[in-house]
Amino acid sequence: MRQLFFVIAVFFSIISAVFVFLPLGTLALLPVGIALIFGFLALKKSDLNQAKRVKLFLAITIFSLIIIVGKTLFFPDTVDKDPQFETQKRESKDEAQKELEELE
Amino acid sequence: MKKYYLIISIVLVCYNGFSQIKSGEKLVFAASYNMGGLMTHLAQVTMETETIKTSKNTFLHLSCSAATFSKWDSFFKIRDLYESFVHPITLKPSLYKRNILEGSYTKTEKYIFKPDGKTINSTLKKKNVPEENTTFSIANGTQDIVSLIYKLRTVDFQNYKNGQMKSFQVVFDKKEIPVVVKFMGKETVSTGNLGNKECYKLSIGARTKVLKGKDQNIIWLTADAQKIPALIKFSIPVGTGQLKLSNASGI
Repeated sequence: MRQLFFVIAVFFSIISAVFVFLPLGTLALLPVGIALIFGFLALKKSDLNQAKRVKLFLAITIFSLIIIVGKTLFFPDTVDKDPQFETQKRESKDEAQKELEELE
Repeated sequence: MKKYYLIISIVLVCYNGFSQIKSGEKLVFAASYNMGGLMTHLAQVTMETETIKTSKNTFLHLSCSAATFSKWDSFFKIRDLYESFVHPITLKPSLYKRNILEGSYTKTEKYIFKPDGKTINSTLKKKNVPEENTTFSIANGTQDIVSLIYKLRTVDFQNYKNGQMKSFQVVFDKKEIPVVVKFMGKETVSTGNLGNKECYKLSIGARTKVLKGKDQNIIWLTADAQKIPALIKFSIPVGTGQLKLSNASGI
C-alpha cells in the first residue's frame, strides 16, 4: 500500500511541477492537492529510511504550491491588446450604422 | 393631433418605465469556469454602451465582448462579440449581431428586426458553409440576448416578493425562447471597484438546452437605480461558471 501511495504522490508531484510552468492558474492546484494527500499517506506508512524519498517529493510539491499561489496572487490575469479584434469591433459598428440608415 | 400623440407617447413611456441605461457605461467582468471543482479564470467579458446616431434616429449600441486571458490564447483563443442596436428608451432592438471566434470555430449571425416588430431577417455565416438568409416571425416585444440583459435592468424589483416572476421572450439561434425571471430576494455581493453592495438575486429560467438545472442560472443586480449586474452564475450542459464584476465605469 505504501508503494502505491508513493507512486501516486510522485506522479502528481511531477505533474504539479510541470503545471507550474503552464498557464493553468488555480487548476494547477488539483495535482498539488492529490500529491500532498498521497505524499502524507505514504509518509505515514514509511520507516525512517523510506521517509527521506517521500519528503523530497513532498518538498517539490510544496514548492510548486508556493509558486502557483504566488503567481495567482501577484500576477493578475490580463487580456492582450488585440488590434485585429479592435478593428473587427470598429468595422462591425460602422457596418451596423450603414444598415441602420438603410432600415429607415 | 400631434399634441395627443405626444401625450400618449409620454403615458406609454411612463407606463413601461424609463430606460436607466446610460450611454458610455463600461462593465468589465472576469469569467471563470469550473474545472475539476476549481473556478479557473478564463476570459474577460466587457459590456459597453454607446450612442449611435443615424440621419433620422438615435440608437443605443449595446456591446458585449469576450476575450480569453492572454495565458489561454495559445491553447484556446476566444474573441466573441455580441451587439445590439436598440431604441435608447424602450430598448426595442433594431439590429443584432453576433461574431464568434472560439478556437477554430467561427460564426457570424445578424438579425434585422423589421419595424413591424414581428419579423426578423436573419443572415448566418459559418466557416466553409455558404451564407444562409432566412426570414422568421417573432412575437411582439421579443428581445435579443444582449438587449434582454439591459431590459432586465429596467425592471423595478423594489416591490417584488420572493418567488414573484416576470416573463420575457428572447430570440437566440433563430428560435424564440420564453424566459422567466424569478425574484429570489436580496443578498450582499462584491461588485469590484464599487465595493460590497446589496443586490437583487434573480433566477433565470428558459426552455432551452443551453441552460441547465432549476435555479442554477442566477444573476445578481445591484439594488439601486443602476441595477448593475454584479455576479452571474450559469450552468450549461458542459459545466458551470460565473461572471464576476471587476470594474464598472461611466455609470
